[in-house]
Amino acid sequence: MTQGTNDKPAAPIRRKPLAGAFGKIRIGSETVQLLVLAVILFMFFSIIVEKFLTVRSITSMGFQMPELGVLTLAMMLSIYTGGINLSVNATSNLAAVLAGFFMVRYIPKDAAGAVVTLYLAVAFLIAIAVGWVCGVINGLLIGYVGVPPILATLATMTLYTGISVGLTGGATVTGFPTQLSVIGAQTILGIPIPFLIFVGFTILTYILLDRTSFGFKMRLLGSNPVAAEFSGINNRAIIMGAYMYGGILSAVTGILIMGRTMSAAYEYGATTYVLLTILICVLANVNPGMGRVIDVFIAVVILQILSTGFQMALSGVRGSTFFKDFAWGVLLVLVFIANYFIRGRRAQSS
Amino acid sequence: MLKKAIRTHEFIIFLILVALSLVVGIINPAFFSVSTLFDTLRASIVYFIMSFGVLPLMIAGGVDISFVAIAAMTSYTTHMFLLKLGYEGGTLLYFFIAGAMGLLAGLLMGFLVTRFNLPVFNVSLALYTMWYGFNLFFIGATANFDLPQGTVGYYARFLVTAKDPYVGQTGLHVSIIYAVVVGVFVWWLLKYTIIGRGLFAIGGNKEVAIRSGFNVNFIWMVAFALMGVLSAIAGVTQGFLSRYFNPVLFITQPLDVLAGIILGGASITGGRGTVIGTALGVLLIQIINRALILTGIPVQWQKLVVGIILVVFTSIPAIRAQRARRLRRTTEAA
Repeated sequence: MTQGTNDKPAAPIRRKPLAGAFGKIRIGSETVQLLVLAVILFMFFSIIVEKFLTVRSITSMGFQMPELGVLTLAMMLSIYTGGINLSVNATSNLAAVLAGFFMVRYIPKDAAGAVVTLYLAVAFLIAIAVGWVCGVINGLLIGYVGVPPILATLATMTLYTGISVGLTGGATVTGFPTQLSVIGAQTILGIPIPFLIFVGFTILTYILLDRTSFGFKMRLLGSNPVAAEFSGINNRAIIMGAYMYGGILSAVTGILIMGRTMSAAYEYGATTYVLLTILICVLANVNPGMGRVIDVFIAVVILQILSTGFQMALSGVRGSTFFKDFAWGVLLVLVFIANYFIRGRRAQSS
Repeated sequence: MLKKAIRTHEFIIFLILVALSLVVGIINPAFFSVSTLFDTLRASIVYFIMSFGVLPLMIAGGVDISFVAIAAMTSYTTHMFLLKLGYEGGTLLYFFIAGAMGLLAGLLMGFLVTRFNLPVFNVSLALYTMWYGFNLFFIGATANFDLPQGTVGYYARFLVTAKDPYVGQTGLHVSIIYAVVVGVFVWWLLKYTIIGRGLFAIGGNKEVAIRSGFNVNFIWMVAFALMGVLSAIAGVTQGFLSRYFNPVLFITQPLDVLAGIILGGASITGGRGTVIGTALGVLLIQIINRALILTGIPVQWQKLVVGIILVVFTSIPAIRAQRARRLRRTTEAA
């Protein structure tokens, strides 16, 4: 598969209307395909589910998808550079637990509103620093020691979860200042704040991947590490960078989860989140050296539409929450097969 | 000959295994007991069987995570089906029905991969969520403890029993035989059949394998069928060993199992892997998980210690490989 930019000579002309503040946005046939799929699913559920097309249900989707969305961006970076990061969820929980400890222990009970906000900012910085350190450890193991990414991050997943379990004793950390719920439960102009954060990080990641030399080097490293090394790229440093940024994104997810649940624990999203993020990356066609941030964004939306849609459509049926897992698997297989026919036989070679 | 054996990855893993056992044994002598050995083996049986099923695929360069879902789907569906029929017989019918379902599930996956030329990992991820969803939505969402009369005694059917100074009577479960038979079979398949050699060829370089005349699609199908059947056997065995059938059996564990195989020397990109290495990798993970209980480390810190051990143990082979590579580079340059 080639990138959208060198697909066909006709392609650049079609893309011109999308040229905006960031220059030409890299889109391709996958983007269009995913967009069509999202629209079809949205229309399907709007028709068959009575209350799907309401402000309330759409807002609730906006609140639900950012956690998984930001986490998927972290996963995307590791796959993009030819690896995988199983520790994303463990990182977010560890960041949340440590930031949570700080808030519970150090914020004075009688502090004024502005002071609390200041403390919250410090707590967020702590979370992000923790995520960064987790990313550094991953980067060291994968880039410098040379441990296969799946093994390294499985080990660090256990390690980070182990720290969270050890510190909390398995309990949930609660008792955060109410100002924190701004992150998880409020809206600006009707748009949920977590969704805005998700969009913000999507744009940031897009700029990093498509507009910087760091992003270009990640792409080269992912598609051919040997060629990358011989063209003078410091592979180790790039891997380190990718996992550091992934760690920070995971920490942001931790903050989002904290804002929604007003608590922190070692087990939030355990294991299902990790596999879901991989699933979204697969749907968005993220491969080593390949993949677009915008596709990931649309794939996250698709997952949310599917999960909310089936939940509402089947409410009252026994085990209704599980149907979406089944449907998600079937949908993925259908998308693969459709891709095969759309792109011809050669395109999808492993 | 001996020198060559000592340099293998398997030997390093074996050394790590011995070193870990020694450390734990020194902290708590109770670790060196027959019952620890038997219990560890008993807990490893299903992981042996599943890993041996996934190994051929991995050697051919296909990373699969749906094997756990196939294990859960086949065992739970078979159990609920037979329960509805009022079946009171023995274990054999379970293995037969679940095995047939596993075969079909494996062939379905093989069909998707070969017919549409899809990456194995992507398909396996889709089928992973599909099979668990199928179990939970269509079959049932709760674990079932009603075993047929003929299978109740199975969990305590021992191959050999021994007196243990710490726990009294202890035994090695009879299903270890399945693991051994499966292990020998996969070893034979990989080493002495054209299919096995084809798996290595595909994992080394698919294009070359096609051009040297291997029937790549057929070999893929065999590997998927084997994975399906062995996963089903593992699922049913786990059901009888734990005395209940679980719709989300192993749901959190696919990556742990893969890690054990990779730790045992298999390459995630294909072309490398052995049955012995896989068995050692599985054992190592099991011992790490179980031995800590005996060391007296407070429960809440145990996971952290497991994490540290994993970080260290996965780094050792990587550092050695890096050193070997550097050595080779310097000798080549000279």
